[in-house]
Amino acid sequence: MRTTGKKSSNTLVRDLVNVGIFGALYLVLSGIGASIGFIPAFIVVSTCAVSLVTSVPLFLFFSKVERPLLCCVLICTLFGVVMMFSGHGISYGLLCVIYGVLAGLSLKLFHKNFVGCLLANVMISFVPSSMMIPLWSSTEEYLAYCSSVCDSAYIAHLAELSSSYWPLIGLFGFGAAGAVVGGFVARRVMKKHFERIGLAQ
Amino acid sequence: MKLDPRTKLFLALAANGMIFTAPLVYSLLMVVVASILLLLEGKWKFVCTFFFVYLTAGFFFDQVKNLDIGTSGTIILASLFLMYRIMPACAVLYYVITTTKVNEFLACMSRMHISNKVTIPLIVMIRFFPTVYDESRAIGNAMRMRGIRLFSLRTLKNPVAFLEYRLVPLLVSVTKIGDELSIAAVTRGLSTDTKRTCVAKIGFRWVDFVVIAYCLIVVCAFFNVIPGL
Repeated sequence: MRTTGKKSSNTLVRDLVNVGIFGALYLVLSGIGASIGFIPAFIVVSTCAVSLVTSVPLFLFFSKVERPLLCCVLICTLFGVVMMFSGHGISYGLLCVIYGVLAGLSLKLFHKNFVGCLLANVMISFVPSSMMIPLWSSTEEYLAYCSSVCDSAYIAHLAELSSSYWPLIGLFGFGAAGAVVGGFVARRVMKKHFERIGLAQ
Repeated sequence: MKLDPRTKLFLALAANGMIFTAPLVYSLLMVVVASILLLLEGKWKFVCTFFFVYLTAGFFFDQVKNLDIGTSGTIILASLFLMYRIMPACAVLYYVITTTKVNEFLACMSRMHISNKVTIPLIVMIRFFPTVYDESRAIGNAMRMRGIRLFSLRTLKNPVAFLEYRLVPLLVSVTKIGDELSIAAVTRGLSTDTKRTCVAKIGFRWVDFVVIAYCLIVVCAFFNVIPGL
């Protein structure tokens, strides 16, 4: 059968519904993963936990969508909008859009193969990692905000972290490492469960 | 009392802005208007529970805040903070979500010339949080019946297996719900190309103007726009 190459609008609706569903799931799971950051020693590695927990849903999401660029931009933008509603700045929302574009492009360029999915997963792992950038970009305001939430020992630990740029690199590095490890776990889980029951290709 | 969905969105935006950036008194002012609107909707039980939990959390937050009790203190303080500072935002969002029908919200977004590519995921996302919670709870109960718990020796020995036992059924269930939802949406003619019609009447009335004016006054007072406020 000859096709025009144009994707149906029905699949667009399906993609948009998937963005909504996996967006909700991503928000919930990243919140659970990030909660280990309440323990001062685990602040830097909390991004790794988020990436590990969210890798499997993201891989399933990548396999289900037909318009990777649009869907990745939308899921990151929605996350950014929700975070903006909860006190993060507009710059964070813009960063989310950029990560979404990069993730979508990785999927598009590599035709949704494992490398593309892994790269997209790493790009999306930078979304929660960027949430703590204000600790280095506007240290005093961030610490003043946190002082109303956390005890003095936690604030002292945050101040100690802000004195060097290595923890910031660590946040992104651990997030990316978690995304890579989570990607390999996700591939195994996809083969073991989702491909077997026909939920993913 | 029926408010236009656009007014509710403005209320949610103003309330969240005040709750997360302004001093406590401004967030209280926003909570008051949300509570009045919830009471007018007959949700007095929710309002009473909310105020009880909110005031209790506020009291304990003030007590624990100045104590230096280490990591456990941070966890307790963060939990109390979630209740104390984020609960008002949740109350406002609860009002917006429970009193806005999907068709009204879609019509309102369409009037604001927002593309369906943004509206559809947003509405699915908002409506999907309770589903994720229900499914997760049901899977948790089923796993507990099989002896798979978070705080057990088995989980400590193999945490990845625990994650797999909880996450995979949730993902399978969520994906199937998503497929059914998209089929239902397409069957009902939901599309990004066509302009949809709506039977529900939406529009601004005097109540909307009162709520918007109230929010504007609170926001202006915070930014010191009106002298003397």
